[in-house]
Amino acid sequence: MPTNYIVNNKDLVLITGSNGFIGSSVVENLLKLGYANLRCFVRPSSNLMKLESILRNYPQARVEILAGNLLSREDCTKAVKETAVIYHLAAGIEKTFPGSYMNSVVTTRNLLEAALGTGRLVRFVNVSSFAVYSNWNIRRGDLLDETCEVESHPMERAEAYAYAKLKQDQLVMDYGKKDGLPYVIVRPGAVYGPGTRSLTARVGIDTFGVFFHLGGGNQIPLTYVENCANAIVLAGIQPGVEGEVFNIVDDDLPSSRTLLRLYKKRGKSFRSIYVPYSIFYLLCWLWERYSKWSQGQLPPTFNRRRCATYWKGNLYSNRKLKDRLGWKPGVSFAEASRRYFEFVKEIA
Amino acid sequence: MLKVAIIGCGKIADQHAQQIVHLPGCSIVAVCDREELMAKQLQQRFGIADSFANAQEMMQRTPPDVVHITTPPQTHYAVGKLCLEAGCHIYVEKPFTMNYSEAEELIRLAARKGLKLTVGHNAQFSHAANQMRKLVADGYLGGAPVHMESYYCYDLGDPAYAKALLGDSYHWIRNLPGGLLQNTISHGISKIAEFLQGDAPHVIAHGFTSQMLRSVGETEIVDELRVVIDDGNATAYFTFSTQMRPSLHMLRIYGPKRGLIMDETQQTLIKFRGARYKSYLEQFLPQWSFAKQYAESALGNMKKFVKADFQSEYGMRFLIREFYHSIVENAPVPIPYREIRLTSRIMDEIFAQLSSQKIHKESSTERALVQHS
Repeated sequence: MPTNYIVNNKDLVLITGSNGFIGSSVVENLLKLGYANLRCFVRPSSNLMKLESILRNYPQARVEILAGNLLSREDCTKAVKETAVIYHLAAGIEKTFPGSYMNSVVTTRNLLEAALGTGRLVRFVNVSSFAVYSNWNIRRGDLLDETCEVESHPMERAEAYAYAKLKQDQLVMDYGKKDGLPYVIVRPGAVYGPGTRSLTARVGIDTFGVFFHLGGGNQIPLTYVENCANAIVLAGIQPGVEGEVFNIVDDDLPSSRTLLRLYKKRGKSFRSIYVPYSIFYLLCWLWERYSKWSQGQLPPTFNRRRCATYWKGNLYSNRKLKDRLGWKPGVSFAEASRRYFEFVKEIA
Repeated sequence: MLKVAIIGCGKIADQHAQQIVHLPGCSIVAVCDREELMAKQLQQRFGIADSFANAQEMMQRTPPDVVHITTPPQTHYAVGKLCLEAGCHIYVEKPFTMNYSEAEELIRLAARKGLKLTVGHNAQFSHAANQMRKLVADGYLGGAPVHMESYYCYDLGDPAYAKALLGDSYHWIRNLPGGLLQNTISHGISKIAEFLQGDAPHVIAHGFTSQMLRSVGETEIVDELRVVIDDGNATAYFTFSTQMRPSLHMLRIYGPKRGLIMDETQQTLIKFRGARYKSYLEQFLPQWSFAKQYAESALGNMKKFVKADFQSEYGMRFLIREFYHSIVENAPVPIPYREIRLTSRIMDEIFAQLSSQKIHKESSTERALVQHS
């Protein structure tokens, strides 16, 4: 373990959402790096099989599994006790705006209030998402990086998850300004790996039994789960990055067309219909208009902002991640996709 | 302009706000939630002027005409009382209150104050339900209802809900005396209550935990319920199930001459004639009548869709509009208070019986264990 990290291997590290797809990989990554004092916060209903199988490989590590609900301030107080670093991955993936908001923003507020009260916190890593960005004012093919604007019209995009994550990021930044919270925000792109059952929506959507390929030749901001977890871990321990935002994408990003072809060939075969961006954008505009005219008879699920966010097509960079966190993707796209497609084939 | 406020800014509050903003002659002036962040998110998303974390403060600073109470059921009585005492009409989400006596108190308080109240039994105001009500009122059944069958199913397969409910032993639903049932069955019970004539029906209830829940280690939540109701004039069966498929939301109502079947999910109302055709014609002809009715229903639904009159929450919008109309025009409320009382009374009886069944079951198990040891 390099000596310049802000915490040593005996400091207590809390991981919320530690049993999730990314969370369990973060736990494994921390253990691999030698962090031997972890507290894994899980939902009471969680199936802990995956997490427990990881922990079995590190019998010497002191890992506490704490079941609770971040909506409970009492549970948050228990969770943050003595912690030096918090990796906050627990997220509210719900369809409704209030549900998503409550399980992302209210939970984060509870956690932050509790954490700041301990006086021991040296880093709070807020795991956000690419979904918070807006490419509305960026041209097709331009670079979308950490300097780009976040969504300013989340309600028009009608995406509860993006709205909640946006508000969660704002809350964390506010605590940074107001209370000096030593935070880092990480925004993973489309995380994939064994465990991801479907293709990212950036490739297309499966609806009414048909897969519409909407990504065309767009670059897909993929990040393999282990690479992503490693970037998240580094965000919690590297010095001098407080208040920074990092996008997480791998090297060798494939195009949507390539990814779909590989998926069908090596994972699961299915029929797809290609719909050019301009046509889909027009359909989204019509849907949006109809939704408004009909007073919500059809919800504005398809709309121009959402269409642009997912299928307009931009380029992505991991420059900042490499420069500031010293991150390198440990698993190449060739290897990562091989593992992923094997999983897809198995479940198919 | 009717000034509206919402207390409780969770998931259901969103649905209320979405309907209210499309109604003329009213405006949401404030929202309130004990969790300030939740109040603020609703305020910001719907462009509402004020948000509060304290209901009393809201009443004083932005006195509304109507308050929608969308808090957890345990608080309906207290919040409803507070609003009525502050001079506001109330629209209370279902279940109206925790029990009959609370319901009665709120109704009396409203009457004393010259205010109106209603409960969010919006499923009774869908297109099909409204059509059924009209046919029954016009005498289609050929007399008072003889028997009813109400199905209200709940698909626990919805991972978000099941996860929240099963995963959190502190979930507010678990703290309701009637558990999951208390939060859901009033939709199905109120449909029966609407057509019952007596005020104190005899109720026989049987509830149990489904095999599916037992297989995941859940033993406390009763998610299957069968009820027989008899008011001396008419009888009814009520079925609540999380497991049966199709997951029905349906009311069958039979009179002395004819019957009606209302399928809430498909928005279809089918008429059944009581008389029979002669001989084999009974096996050849009625099917054509049903085919015609289903075809007409499909076309009718499409027509409403084209006219943008088929919103998924049409019933809620209709009920809110009618309730506001009753306030502004001093007209009768859309849901008679007798029906609210009767629904509460039937639910009380169901939960009392389920509770005694549970006690009986536990003591039987204890006895069996003692004998065994």
